[in-house]
Amino acid sequence: MALGTRLGRAALAVWLLLPLVPLVLWAAADRWTAPAVLPQAWGTAGLRDAVDSGAGTASLRSTVLGLVVAALATPLGAMAGRALAGSGVPAGGAVLAALLSPLVLPPFAVALGLDVLLLRLRVPASVGVVLLLTVAALPYTTVLMRTAYAAHDPGFEEEARTLGATARRAVLAVQLPMLAPALAGAAFLAFLVGWSDYVVTLLVGGGQLVTLPLLVASAASSVGNEAQVAVLSLGSVLPPLALLVAVGLLGRRR
Amino acid sequence: MAADRPWDDVLAEADGQTVDLWMYGGEEAGNAYVDDVLAPAAAELGVTLRRVPVADTGDALDRVLSERQAGVTDGEVDLVWVNGENYAAGRQAGAWLCDWALDLPNRRYTDPADPLLTDDFGVPVEGCESPWHKAQFTLVYDSARVPEPPTTLAGVLDWAQANPGRFTHPAPPDFTGSVFVRQVLTSVVGGPGEVPLEFSQEAYDEYAPALFERLATLSPALWRGGETYPQSQQELDRLFADGEVDMTMTYGPATLADLVADGTFPETTRVLTLEEGTFGNASFLALPSTSGDSAGAQVVADLALSPEQQAAKADPGTWGQFTVLDTGRLEDADRAAFEELPASPVVPPYAELSRNAQPELSADWVSPLDEGWRRSVLAP
Repeated sequence: MALGTRLGRAALAVWLLLPLVPLVLWAAADRWTAPAVLPQAWGTAGLRDAVDSGAGTASLRSTVLGLVVAALATPLGAMAGRALAGSGVPAGGAVLAALLSPLVLPPFAVALGLDVLLLRLRVPASVGVVLLLTVAALPYTTVLMRTAYAAHDPGFEEEARTLGATARRAVLAVQLPMLAPALAGAAFLAFLVGWSDYVVTLLVGGGQLVTLPLLVASAASSVGNEAQVAVLSLGSVLPPLALLVAVGLLGRRR
Repeated sequence: MAADRPWDDVLAEADGQTVDLWMYGGEEAGNAYVDDVLAPAAAELGVTLRRVPVADTGDALDRVLSERQAGVTDGEVDLVWVNGENYAAGRQAGAWLCDWALDLPNRRYTDPADPLLTDDFGVPVEGCESPWHKAQFTLVYDSARVPEPPTTLAGVLDWAQANPGRFTHPAPPDFTGSVFVRQVLTSVVGGPGEVPLEFSQEAYDEYAPALFERLATLSPALWRGGETYPQSQQELDRLFADGEVDMTMTYGPATLADLVADGTFPETTRVLTLEEGTFGNASFLALPSTSGDSAGAQVVADLALSPEQQAAKADPGTWGQFTVLDTGRLEDADRAAFEELPASPVVPPYAELSRNAQPELSADWVSPLDEGWRRSVLAP
C-alpha cells in the first residue's frame, strides 16, 4: 500500500513536471531547430529578451494583483462558504449557483460587457480589474471554504465559549487556526486568478497594467521568440508552484 | 478639433502628454525599435510614449469600442498599429479620429496618389490613419532544398504537386493563409487585374470555382496529404524552421532577416520573387476617437513618418520595415540615408520585392473566400 502510494505520487510528480522539461530547455536555448534532440546553442538570449520586454516589473505587477485579489476573495469566500455550509441561507442552492456563475460565463464576454459599465460609472481601471477578478475568484474560495466549514466541528468553539472566550476570540483563536489549511488553499486559488489573467487585465485595465500574462501572450503570438516565451512562462509557472508547495507543507503540518 | 490648426499649437498641447501605443507585440525587433528609437525621440518633443503589447490588434479595438460605448473622452488607447479588417471594423463603428493624418507636416514626403496609402484593403484611408510602413506578401524558400525555385505562383503550385508533402499554407481565416488563397485566385484566373477589387456575388460565382478546384486538386500533395493545415503563419514558420516543409510565406518579410540571424530559419532562406508580383499593403497608426491625448498621438504619428525615423526603421538591423515615403520627394541628405541602408542577403530591397505589386482585394472578399475554401477544399 505504502509502495503503491509512493509510486502514485512519483507518477503524479512526473506528470506535472514533465511538461516543464522542454520549457527549461527552450529557456536556455539560443538556437534549437529540428531534428536536433537538444538545443544546438545554449545561452541567455531568452532571459535577456525577457528582461528587455519588462518581465521584472510585469511580474511585480502580477504579484501585487494576485495578492490583492487573494486578500479580497479569501475572506469574502470564507464568509459566503460559512453561511452556505449552515442551513441559515434561504434558497442556498440558488445563492451558490449565482456565486458560481462566473465559472460558466466566458470571461471574454464578461470583460467586454462589464468594461462598458465600469467605464460609464467612472470606476478607475485598476479598481475595475481587482473588482472583476475578485468576483472571478469567488467561486473557488466559496466552494473550498463551504466544504471546509461543512467538515468543521463547531463544538470546539462552543467549548471555548463555555470556558469564557468572547465570540471574537473563539473565531480568532480556535476557528481560524483550524481552518488555516483551507484558507491557505482558497487564497492560493484566488492568487492564481489574479496572477494568470489576460483578458480582464488588458481590456478593463486599459493596458495600464502590463502583467506577466500580457507579455507571454504577445511574445507567444509569433515564431522566433521561443526562448523568451519559455523564460516568461517559467516565470509565470514557478512562483505559483513554489507557493503550492508552501501551502501543501502548511497543510501537512496541521 | 480644427483640421487646419497650426502645427505649433498641436506641439504645444502635446508637451507633457503620455501616449499609449497599442501594438501587436509578437515582433521583438518592432518592440525594440519603439522602445529604443521612437520613444526617446518622442521624449525630446515632450511626449512620453508607452507601448502596450497585445497578442491581437483586435484587443485594442475592443477596448476602444467599449470606451466609445461608455462615452469616454480620456481613453487609455491613443494610437493603434492597424490595417485591414481591424481598421475597417473600427471605421464602421466610428472608432477612429479622422481629419488629422493628412495634415501632419511629414505627410508631404509621401506620394498623395500612392494607392497603398489611399486605400487600406479597399477602405478609403482619408485622414483617419497615418501610414507607418509598407509590406509585401512574400513566399519564402530554402535555397538548399529548392535549388531551382519556380518563378510564378502557378509554378509554385506545380512544384508543390510534384513534391508531395513539402508545401502547405496556413488555413484561412488565418490572415496569411487567407492572403495566399486570394493570391492563388488572381493566379488561376489568368493574372492580376482580372478579378475586380470590389466584391460582388457575381464576381465570386464567376472566379471562385476555378480557385477551389485548383486548391482541391493540390490538397492531397500538401503536407500531411492536406488532411490538416497549419492554423497560423506561426505554425507554418515552425514547420519551415524544422525542415518539414521547404517554403513558408509572410506579409511581413522584414522579420525574415532577424529569423535567419538568430538561427530560427536556415541561412539558405531566400525570398521567392514572383514574375507577376504579389499583393502589397501598408499598415498605419490610427488615433481612437476616445483618446485623451490626441495632440501627443499626432506628434508621435508625425515623428514616425519623419525621414529620420523611417530610415532608422527600414534598417534591417533595426526592424527592416519598408518606408511609406516617396524617396524622390526627400532632401538629398535624407534620400542618402535610405540609399545607404545595408542590403540584406535574405530580403531583397523593397523596389525589387514590390515590382508589379498588386493592390489588395477589398476586405469584403475575405470572408466569402475563407468560407468557400473551408467548404470546398478543407471539408468537401
